[in-house]
Amino acid sequence: MSAVAVGLELPPDVDRQLDGLPPMELAVGVLTYNNAATVPTVVDAIRGGLEKHLTGTPAVLINADAGSSDATVERLADSGLPLVRAQHEAPAAQLGAVPFHGVPGRGAALRLAVGVARRLGVRALIVLEADVTSITGEWIERLVRPVLAHGADLVMPVHARHRYDGTITNLVLAPLVGALLGRRLHQPLSGPRALSARLIERVTAVPQWPESGRSVADLWIAGTAITDGLSIHEARLGRWRVESSTRTVDLPTMVAQTLGAVFALMDDYEDLWLETPIGPPVPAEGPPVLPSDEPVQIDVERMVGAFARGLRDLGTIWEHVLAPDTLGDVMSLQTDDVERFRFSDDLWARVVYDFALGHHWSVVYRDHLLRSLVPLYLGRTAAFVLATRRRDAMAAESALDAVATAFEREKTYLVDRWR
Amino acid sequence: MKNTARDWYKDAVFYEVHVKAFKDANGDGIGDFTGLTESLDYIQELGVDCLWILPMYPSPLRDDGYDISDFYGIHPSYGTVEDFQKFLDAAHARDLRVITDLVMNHTSDQHPWFQASRSSVASPYADYYVWNASDRRFADARIIFVDTEKSNWTLDPTRREYYWHRFFSHQPDLNYDNPAVRRAMLDVMRFWLDRGLDGFRCDAVPYLVEREGTSCENLPETHAILKEFRAVIDQEYGGDRILLAEANQWPEDVRPYFGNGDEFHMSFHFPLMPRLYLGLRLEDTRPITDIFTHTPPIPPACQWGLFLRNHDELTLEMVTNEERAFMYYAYAHEPDMKLNLGIRRRLAPLLDGDRRRVELLNCLLLTLPGSPIIYYGDEIGMGDNVYLGDRNGVRTPMQWSRDRNAGFSSVEHAQLYLPIITDPVYGYEAVNVAAQARQPSSLLNTMRRLLATRRTSSVFGRGSIEFLRPRNSKVLAFLRRHARETLLIVANLSAAPQPVELALSAFAGATPIEMLGATAFPTIRTAPYFLSLGPHGFYWFRLERPGDGDEPFGIERTAI
Repeated sequence: MSAVAVGLELPPDVDRQLDGLPPMELAVGVLTYNNAATVPTVVDAIRGGLEKHLTGTPAVLINADAGSSDATVERLADSGLPLVRAQHEAPAAQLGAVPFHGVPGRGAALRLAVGVARRLGVRALIVLEADVTSITGEWIERLVRPVLAHGADLVMPVHARHRYDGTITNLVLAPLVGALLGRRLHQPLSGPRALSARLIERVTAVPQWPESGRSVADLWIAGTAITDGLSIHEARLGRWRVESSTRTVDLPTMVAQTLGAVFALMDDYEDLWLETPIGPPVPAEGPPVLPSDEPVQIDVERMVGAFARGLRDLGTIWEHVLAPDTLGDVMSLQTDDVERFRFSDDLWARVVYDFALGHHWSVVYRDHLLRSLVPLYLGRTAAFVLATRRRDAMAAESALDAVATAFEREKTYLVDRWR
Repeated sequence: MKNTARDWYKDAVFYEVHVKAFKDANGDGIGDFTGLTESLDYIQELGVDCLWILPMYPSPLRDDGYDISDFYGIHPSYGTVEDFQKFLDAAHARDLRVITDLVMNHTSDQHPWFQASRSSVASPYADYYVWNASDRRFADARIIFVDTEKSNWTLDPTRREYYWHRFFSHQPDLNYDNPAVRRAMLDVMRFWLDRGLDGFRCDAVPYLVEREGTSCENLPETHAILKEFRAVIDQEYGGDRILLAEANQWPEDVRPYFGNGDEFHMSFHFPLMPRLYLGLRLEDTRPITDIFTHTPPIPPACQWGLFLRNHDELTLEMVTNEERAFMYYAYAHEPDMKLNLGIRRRLAPLLDGDRRRVELLNCLLLTLPGSPIIYYGDEIGMGDNVYLGDRNGVRTPMQWSRDRNAGFSSVEHAQLYLPIITDPVYGYEAVNVAAQARQPSSLLNTMRRLLATRRTSSVFGRGSIEFLRPRNSKVLAFLRRHARETLLIVANLSAAPQPVELALSAFAGATPIEMLGATAFPTIRTAPYFLSLGPHGFYWFRLERPGDGDEPFGIERTAI
């Protein structure tokens, strides 16, 4: 059993593993927790990508594991690639109820991978998820090429997804993070990414990483890179398919965890967003992949019904959270005729910002606050589906751009009330 | 959103309120219907479904309105029938239902029926009451108000006969053997139901009929009359008006009041209430689980009414002598706190103002099988004044704010019908609605959250109950099931943290979702399921099996 990584120093057993390794140009971090069924697919993709696109580049595999009880670690060790392995700390609650990203204590896992990469002096670190089975060798190339060839410091993923996949990301996280950090990122909380040596150096110079229990580290790294003026790119990776038996699929939990991470970042790192202006578009690399557009079964009527029940049952919480004008506008939304249900972008932006402010000022117990957003999110999602389901994919993209614009436009509302 | 089901009462939470105690709109020191109407937003926001109004009829008020002198009016201190109608309409507009007390067993001795009855044996009302030449009939009937009454008979100097009364001597019992009395009482009910009233809480129903050689309680003839009333009301009012029985009896004696679903819709579960307090004080689940083994099943359309406190003393008639002695020891350490066979205190002071114990008992109130009834003021932890005599100490004005007279009335303090609670712990400056509404973690807001959570599942009102028997007897754990949904309630009766292992292997693979925070707990395996609970802590879990629960929206698996 490996030691648990704590503090800024690497664990002694990791030190010992590093002592026997030559300098590396590339590190691939695989963050795992009970992924024995899927990790061979990920290893095959890594090996294939390195052999095809990065022949001769010295590369090391870093396995940061949260304490798997299956054969995950052994299957990674069978990869034949140079390997550094370590177990990191993970909150007990996350081991029992695994967060949305699949890795209990993901912040500690990232810190461990970054720390190892820095010690090895790599030019780039790729971070991958161990349960994403749509990965191919091309992902390795698309993530790392911008770093090695174009001077990128942080490469974030763009997945080709159905227009109604990722509604939390598309309608909440992406527009919110985009407005905060000033750069529109398609999947700010998705796992795959690549970091340059410069960014690795920058984030390992900080003595206190975000707490590992709050899933803030990914956002903090992105915010740090943007604030420091480093180069941000996106890589089009194609389809994204997860095969996980541990990641939560409970909607309120996902909303609470993802939005809670963003709100925690806002509280703890005001310098990353409070005065950050809106910057230029983020360049994207890789060939565009058309998202699937097959019909899907979405029960809009039930979503509007859930919103209506929220109006009935959660008014006492919302009145603590939402500004009077915002609350009045929300309460005025008509739910009787589902087909005519609407929820404007500007109102949605103010709702999310009021929740951020409510979280900041702790107006109600924070977990209740986050979960009470769920009916509002369902209402906004229903409105998005109603507005776009008879239109083409381009129209859906335009609708999401409009959401992002609304969040950017309303940012002053947030900033004015934050201090 | 109004529950339009005919059996709406099975899902409902009731709120018991005394008009005189809630809000004084006309500034005479006594609450009134106009004030109550103005307070409906508060009641709606609390999250209850139905108001139970204590007697509001004209009365000499020698028994706080349970001595009715006119069934067709409103006591002038509370307003007029028109004021009542406005109140009822305003409540309905907020999707709140309303039931009122109706005293069927007796009237005030000031009622015109009794005045006529005593005046002459030739009066048309001569047989409206139970008269006898001597006080020696029905000798097997117990005396209920043992502190004040020496006999169930009192000699009337005018008629020079004795009249029968099971309660105070100024409350003569009506003679239900007289068909004219039954017709008259049905007409009273029609008068209020025609105005839209949603039902009656029927006071003292076991005593309607008397027979020699019996206890004069729960007699078959009484049930026959009640069934007759129910049938008429169902037929004439469409079946969604309810009758709630006050029958302070053991569950097996209360069971006949449900009939075959053709008598009362609801009845109070009197014996459960003291056992909740017993279990809490003994830190032992057995008083609670035992009473359920003695609770017979009831017809599907019927429902128990559960309560922690009400406008009367905390009655200890339905406990053993040993249990009563312990209850007095634990909850009534001063003689003034006792009244009849009970304790005249409110919920919060009974529990020494311990917020955790108050929340725990409310947890049980809201999760055990039945429809909960919350007594006004207990949702903010109001205190009492045991020195006010009779049960007045738990009937003091509602504490709205720290303004003059607690925001209840604008009169001079001395003109209030009863003094405001002013002690340092429970006084209106410390305990009031305005302050608690602003404080997210207040008892009021906690109650709102508990009630809102209860509304999310019909299992609370309609589910079966199955007690788990963990080795740690300080932890009460039970399953509630209805249709495809299963809830697991776990409550720590102890003031110390407790571990517990629950045998849940039948639910292996299911995930407990804590309902108040919507938090997923570790999945249940075949091994005993371990939980730890803080002092008086509790969990409400929904057990979700993979594929269970609501139909998906279609966005869950790919939402991020």
